[in-house]
Amino acid sequence: MAREEPDVEVLNEAISSALVFNDEVKDGGGVQITCFSEVVNDVALHFQILRLPKQIYVWIGCDSAKLGRIYAAAPTRPQKDMISVTSILGGASDNTGAGIARRLVLKTGLNIILACNIPKNSPMLEADAEKMLVQKLIQLGYTRAKAEGSSS
Amino acid sequence: MDSSVPRFPVTYKSLSLDIKGNKTDVVLCSYDDHFLVIATQIGAMGTILHARKEEGVSIEPTFNVSAVFGKRDEPMLLACARQLIQDISISGSSKSLVISLGLKDHSAETLKGVVSAVIENRLW
Repeated sequence: MAREEPDVEVLNEAISSALVFNDEVKDGGGVQITCFSEVVNDVALHFQILRLPKQIYVWIGCDSAKLGRIYAAAPTRPQKDMISVTSILGGASDNTGAGIARRLVLKTGLNIILACNIPKNSPMLEADAEKMLVQKLIQLGYTRAKAEGSSS
Repeated sequence: MDSSVPRFPVTYKSLSLDIKGNKTDVVLCSYDDHFLVIATQIGAMGTILHARKEEGVSIEPTFNVSAVFGKRDEPMLLACARQLIQDISISGSSKSLVISLGLKDHSAETLKGVVSAVIENRLW
């Protein structure tokens, strides 16, 4: 019960500052696709989450439906909590999204491919997008519980 | 609040089929500037390739196909991407293609199966 309280607070905060539309979950065999859009400060954020058995692909769209930059992030040995991120497409002069990819690996424990077209130099937008995305992942049950007992 | 509802802008299709006895999940997505194709038998995205059309001076376009993540020396995967980007180009679209192939084998039969499944369900 104590674990859920921070989630409810964050959720309430998000709801008061955003409108939620178009929540769609489609199951095509071993793949689960979840799409949703939210509006934050007059900016439409679109999210597409594709759950494969061993990996999660996420696309974050900011107003447009361009694919954006693609990052791959995974836990690398020797320690499980060492995460590496690499830019697969784009991202030469723009690292927006690399941080999100990294933290998604921490939260889910899975390999992550993240495509993101959030413009450069919008840390607030990035943070909002990440918050909404993580809430959704928790809701879908894709995150793993932290060993310390407090989930985020 | 009567602001317009933003429709989710990406068209996508997801299907599952059997190729040589292996269950293959195929997902196709259409973004503004790219098509994304994922074909997986291994539960992960596998090797990711990027294919784009280059409009040159000559009448016929050239295509640039490269593996950007995963195995980089698999000619069958490159051939698969090449075939699909050509199909995209012939259909009139000049979008690029990002294709991820997580397949158990790279035989011609498997790749042909993937290509025909994608073309049958194409979003272009």
